[in-house]
Amino acid sequence: MLATLATSCVDEEERPNTPEGNFEALWHIIDEHYCFFDYKDIDWNEIYKIYKVRAKGDLNSEQLFEVLTDMLSNLRDGHVNLYTSFDNGRYWRWYEDYPANFSDTLQRRYLGTDYRIAGGLRYKILDDNVGYVYCGSFSTSVGESNLDEVIEHMMLCQGMILDIRNNGGGNLTYAEKLAARFCNEKTLVGYMQHKTGKGHNDFSSEEPQYLEPSSNMRWHKPVVLLTNRGVFSAANEFTKYMKCLPQVTTVGDQTGGGSGMPFTATLPNGWTVRFSACPSYDRNHNQTEFGIVPDYQVTLTATDFLRGRDTIIEFARDFLR
Amino acid sequence: MRTLSKKKRKKSLLLRGARPKRALATEGTQEWTRGGVITLFFLLFSLLAAKAQTSSHMIGVGPSKVLDTYLTPEKYSGTGFTYLYIKDNAHTDTLRRWTTTIEHELDFSKTRHRNSSASDLEGTYNLYLARYYNLRPANNLRLQVGATANACIGGIYNLTSSNNPGQARAAINIMPSATAAYHFSIRQQHFTAHYELNLPLVGVMFSPNFGQSYYEIFNLGNYDHNIVPTTFISAPTFRQIAAIDWHYSKRWALRLAYLGNYQQSQVNNLKQHVYTHRFLIGLTRSL
Repeated sequence: MLATLATSCVDEEERPNTPEGNFEALWHIIDEHYCFFDYKDIDWNEIYKIYKVRAKGDLNSEQLFEVLTDMLSNLRDGHVNLYTSFDNGRYWRWYEDYPANFSDTLQRRYLGTDYRIAGGLRYKILDDNVGYVYCGSFSTSVGESNLDEVIEHMMLCQGMILDIRNNGGGNLTYAEKLAARFCNEKTLVGYMQHKTGKGHNDFSSEEPQYLEPSSNMRWHKPVVLLTNRGVFSAANEFTKYMKCLPQVTTVGDQTGGGSGMPFTATLPNGWTVRFSACPSYDRNHNQTEFGIVPDYQVTLTATDFLRGRDTIIEFARDFLR
Repeated sequence: MRTLSKKKRKKSLLLRGARPKRALATEGTQEWTRGGVITLFFLLFSLLAAKAQTSSHMIGVGPSKVLDTYLTPEKYSGTGFTYLYIKDNAHTDTLRRWTTTIEHELDFSKTRHRNSSASDLEGTYNLYLARYYNLRPANNLRLQVGATANACIGGIYNLTSSNNPGQARAAINIMPSATAAYHFSIRQQHFTAHYELNLPLVGVMFSPNFGQSYYEIFNLGNYDHNIVPTTFISAPTFRQIAAIDWHYSKRWALRLAYLGNYQQSQVNNLKQHVYTHRFLIGLTRSL
């Protein structure tokens, strides 16, 4: 046993802090942990050959950053970032290449200045007795008492517009907490799996995700959920949950996606990389990495914008009337 | 000695009890709380010490090295602190065949990435419950062989990661163990040299699967080989303590020690090690 101990230190190869060392470390982290190689049809070994040549020699930090972010952009993933002290490497084409379909100038005309704030929610009853709730992020906690107050305030409304446009995500448990207020029975909303090894196809079985109804006050009337390309990550999951509920209709543009739960790791030079590690699927086992299509595709028109009208909100109001 | 200490405790309680009548209510409450904690700690110590033949309290500082490939393949190193309490239910010169030793080890470290401000916090509590068979090959030498049950709970937290920043640690191990204690004198001063070694054999530990998130484990309740049986090959954890006691009085000794705790595992395609080296100082009390 002593002989075994003497030779059995659990250790990991430490790559040198050189351009080559950092490139190798990053390539291997992604190779072993990234979860969408097959779905996106990415030949990661081919990527290695292309970028290894560029990561050689006396590159300064900014040049190395450019090479590594170029390599990562092949993953076409908003959850993939390279964090340094001077810049954040990112892939934002999932919303930068599309119309915004959201204007805070227009939103201000609907909310006015006398709207209420409960946790991360801004809400108001519009003049046609439709409740409007804006949730711009799941990074801010929303308490159960906040949700009770919002629902109670809108109790006499004929319907609710729940606007999550430009919600870039945050904490999945907050998204679940909000969705549970619209759920009346335990509902299958999707599946999730994780990697069990370093191989590109080493995955666990798909485990079901269920949404449980909240034990607090719940909303039973019609809900129109407004989405755009800025809806990402936990907000994309929230859309996935809400689409499974019978009284919910989604309106606006396709969501931005981001269905892989991200992990992080550090490189030899101290830079941090974030990447998608655990894929999730909708209840029909479809990927939602590139977004969820709404029930009604509605675009914010320039004409309405000039008239101070939000085409998507107006569609939702007509739908609920 | 016990009677005196009880009287002192009563006097101390009476003094604390009188103060709130003179002070403001809030101050009085705080004073009561502080007094209660101190009294509770004192009673706990008295209880532990009363049953023990030998008890040692030590604090120490030294380097720590942390690797956890669930969090990152990079190693972090830094400085850590340890509190170690050892209670032996027999003197080193006991004639009893079987004896029991209990150790409580509390470790805390802050470690840094080799090339950045990224840092980890690591904290672990280890309980060691050992049952030893005593051998006495010479009058001034005691050898012990036996087995130790170890329960470990703790965690590692990366201060710079927003996603998967933490790793929980929990394990139970059975460890073959041995100790040696040797008495000697230099210029009429009495000393005891100690050595203790705990080796790995079998156990069970908690671990997420390779890429499994804590959200999936604890929010969705998805189990995937998260309770893993271990052996001395998959979890070659071992620990040693070398100490020297200077018996400056009949009951008390000053103890200087080195503690090396090398906790390692390789399960679910994840590697982890937490190496702690500590230089300890403390007091040993014999009854």
